[in-house]
This record gives sequence, C-alpha cells and structure tokens, in this order.
Amino acid sequence: MYRIFSIARNTFREAVRDRVLYNLVLFVLLITASAIFLGELTAGHEARTIVNLGLSAMLVFGVFTAIFVGVSLVSKEIEKRTVFAIFAKPIGRGEFLVGKYLGLCLTLLVNVLVMGAGVSLALLWVGGANLAASVWAAILLIFFELAILTAVAILFSSFSSPALSALLTFFVFIIGHFSQSLRDFAENLGSAGAKVFFNAIYYLLPNLSFFSFITNAAHGDLPNARMLAGAIFYAVCYIAVLLAAAILIFSRRNFK
Amino acid sequence: MKFVQSKQTLAALAVIVFGFAGVFALSGFVEKARPPLPAGFEDEDLALQGARLKGFSLGFEGLLADWYWMRALQYIGAKVIRDRETNDNFNLENMSGLNPRLLYPLLDNASTLDPRFVAVYSYGAVILPAIDRRQAVKLLEKGIANNSNEWRLYEQLGYIYWRLDDYERAAETYGKGAKISGAPPFMLMMASKMKSAGGDRETARAIYEQMFNESPDRQVKENAALHLLELDSSEELDAIRSALQSFREKTNRCASGWREVLPLLQTIKLPRNKSFRVDKAGNLIDPSGTPYILDKEKCDARLDEKTTKIPLK
Repeated sequence: MYRIFSIARNTFREAVRDRVLYNLVLFVLLITASAIFLGELTAGHEARTIVNLGLSAMLVFGVFTAIFVGVSLVSKEIEKRTVFAIFAKPIGRGEFLVGKYLGLCLTLLVNVLVMGAGVSLALLWVGGANLAASVWAAILLIFFELAILTAVAILFSSFSSPALSALLTFFVFIIGHFSQSLRDFAENLGSAGAKVFFNAIYYLLPNLSFFSFITNAAHGDLPNARMLAGAIFYAVCYIAVLLAAAILIFSRRNFK
Repeated sequence: MKFVQSKQTLAALAVIVFGFAGVFALSGFVEKARPPLPAGFEDEDLALQGARLKGFSLGFEGLLADWYWMRALQYIGAKVIRDRETNDNFNLENMSGLNPRLLYPLLDNASTLDPRFVAVYSYGAVILPAIDRRQAVKLLEKGIANNSNEWRLYEQLGYIYWRLDDYERAAETYGKGAKISGAPPFMLMMASKMKSAGGDRETARAIYEQMFNESPDRQVKENAALHLLELDSSEELDAIRSALQSFREKTNRCASGWREVLPLLQTIKLPRNKSFRVDKAGNLIDPSGTPYILDKEKCDARLDEKTTKIPLK
C-alpha cells in the first residue's frame, strides 16, 4: 500500500511540475469574467449561468486533463525507459498502475476543489448564496465521472499508443453520455439479436449520464442519497473493473 | 550568430504582426463580400432544434439553455435598439414590424433544454404577445406542463388571455393558479374580477401592480412599471381633456398653452391622491417626465411619441 501511495504522490508532483494545474488560472479568469459580465447578458439570472458555465467548464477541463494526462502516464515511463528502473525495485506492475491512477485522481481532485471554490465564491459575489453550497453535490458527481474517464484512459494506454488511446477515451466520454439512448434504441428494436447487442454495449460502456447533475444544480437541487450513493458505487465498481483489466493487460506487456 | 538569431526573431515578429493585420483586414473583406440575404431572412437560421440538441448535449443542456436565453435577450434587444434609431414611433405593444421570427424558436429551445427555466416562460409572456399571441400562449402552456406547481406561470398565461380580451379563459387560468399552494389571494381575486370587470382600468392596474411588486424577474418588473406609467398617463389625459373641454366651454376657444388650463387642472382630483406635474418651463409633464403635447387644432392633449418612455398603443 505504501508503494502505491509513493507512486501516487510522485504522479501528483509530476503533474504539478508539468503545469497541469495551470488550467486553473484560465478557469479563474473565466469565472471572474462571468461574474462581472453575466448580470447584463442574462437579465439578472447570472447565478444559474455561473453554475452552468462553471460546472460545464470544470467537466470539460477535467475531461481533457483526464484524457491527455491519463494516456501519457504509462507511455511516458516506457518511452523514457524509466519503467525499467521502477520495476527493478520491489514494485509490482499492478501497484505501479494503481499508483499512477490514484496520483492523477488526486490531481483532478485538487482541480475540482479549487474550481468548485471559484464557482462558490463567484456565486456569493453575485448573490447566489443558496446555490453556493448546493453545487458541491454536482461537483462530487463530476469528480467521479472524471475518475471513470481516467481509468478508461489508463486501460487504453496499457495496450495502445497515446494518440489512439486519447481518441478512444474521448469516444467513450461521448458514447457514455448516449448510453441511455442506446438502451432505448435496443428496446424499440424488433430483432432479439440486436436487442442483446445494444444491451451488451449499454452495460459494457460506462453510463456517464448518471453523473450529469449540472442543470439540476443550477436550480438548487440536491441529488437524493440513493442516487448519490448509487452513482458513487457504480463509479467504484466500474473503475475496479477497468483497472483490473488494465493490470491484466499491462502485466503481460513486453516493454522491449 | 547573435545577429542571425535576432534577425530571425525580428522576421518572425514581422510575420506575426503583418499576418494578423492581414487576417483582420481580410475578415472584414470576406464579411462584406458575402452576398446579402433577402430582407426577410436577415437573421441566421437555427440549424439545430432544442429537442434534437438535447440528445447531443453531453450533460451541458443547462449551459446550452443559458446560451439560447442570452441569444433571445440580445436578439430582441438589438432589434429594438436598431428600430429606435430609425423609427420615432417604436411600439412596445406591437413588435411584429421588427421581424423577430427567431424569438419564439430561441425561447422554445431554451425551455426544451431546461424545462424548469421559468424565466424563459416569463420573458415570453411579456414580449411574445407583442409579436405573436398564439406563440405566447403555446410557450406558457408548455411552461405550465413542465412546472405545474408554479402559480406565476398561470398568472402570466391569465395575463396573456386578458390582453387578448378573452376574460373567460383568463378567469379560468387565474382560478387554476389560485389552487396551487403558495399562490397569493390576488389570483383568486383576479379569477372573479375577470368575469365581471375584465376590461376595467382598475383591473389592469391590479395586474401590473402585482407583477411589479411580486415578480422575481427584472424584465417582467420593467414591463409592468411601464404599463403602470401608461395607466397613470391615461388617467391624467382623461382629466386634461376634461379641463380643456371646460376651458373651451367657458371661453369659446381652445387654450393657447398649459398655463391657461393649469388653474382648472388643480381643481381636479386624480386617483390615489396623485397630482399633475409641471416642469420649469411651465409644461405639463407625463409620468415619465416628458411634456405632454397640446394639440390646439383638435383642442386635445397627447403623449409625445418621440420622447416619452410610456408604451404607445
């Protein structure tokens, strides 16, 4: 366990050194400008727009960080040959992969926490104090969506090139938001074979719409405990499956 | 070596500066060179419909709804400003001349993407009746279907029916809204008043005062305030006309200026203990602060169409 945390800590440090957290500056500028200018543009409904804009930007920035940093986590170590130095020590391939994953999750957590604080402060500034606290449930769900995407990125990068992994992970993000439509489509199909096929895809790909709560958060809604717990357990189960598959593939990979 | 490097830097900077200048100039050139659209289609078309867009929104439907909301505000705002620059007789009560054909689709898209975005329906209730009342009713009915516990939407639909002089439906709508928990006693009062005195000025005042005092929406408040000014000026104009008539009966001629009728006007009591206002030049001014016009030929008074802020019918 200690070894995993050491790798996670180093991955986080590396992300900070690589200026991954610089996107926070852009985010802060975006939110500040929104807080100042949206009052006129939205005819007094700036609080809900700050929630929509802030949380959507948080998701977009997070998705790009998860994809581009996630796919390069393993490949960079292989390219630089540092992977040999790591595995010369008593560290298993599984521990290495899980450590890398947790390190990036920590980076994303810092990202969403700072961004969330920015959104809350902007809401307080424009007089949306009632939304400043309720957005945090939606932020928690965004973090778990990003955690799933990071695991997807690591799975693809365990056997594919960084460019292809990034593309595939991005596709999973898009299809993940359509999975409910896939299921509805399967229900309306006459053919039993097609039904089985689309249902299989539905269960195989992550249903990221479980984590979409931005529009509700803009109305001050809070997810009920069942929904929140269900979504978090779904994410944990899905991440476990993805990491297990990634470890399975990575442990058989030849670095030469 | 250093000389070569600085030469390269200078060349690169020159390319950046001149390149951007070229891009800037060409943007304007291409924009102007584009063949113009027919007058009726000068707005861009909505390539995407809200219902379809919702499926592709990747969880960002709230943000897209906000975008359509802001577009709707800018769209109608820009048209009104443009029209006011060229047309002195801007009419808040009938904006169909502005060709605002995209307003309904914009509001419809915003409310499809976020059906609980109540401000969209409220804005539609205020602006759409001046463009297409059928669309205004349709939008409000959609709002009620999606937010059946929002009594304000019933109030706004009742208001549209009232403006359509359909007092029967207005009464029915106010009545339905009155049954929702949290609805103010005003709703029940309106439900009964619509049938007996739907066309009265006092009914109109009660509606706009309620909107002005209770609406959380800035647009609705501003619109209600203008309509209240309009009602005040109607009361003032009634009194002024009566004073002008009395003056003519006494002197056998029309008043040559406001100073001649002011003593008569001071004897008239305006509702709610209001009194006439006169500016430094001795002109009688309307509730928005603009002098009334005295039409000596017709011996009549009216609002100054060019400068008054009061909506003209």
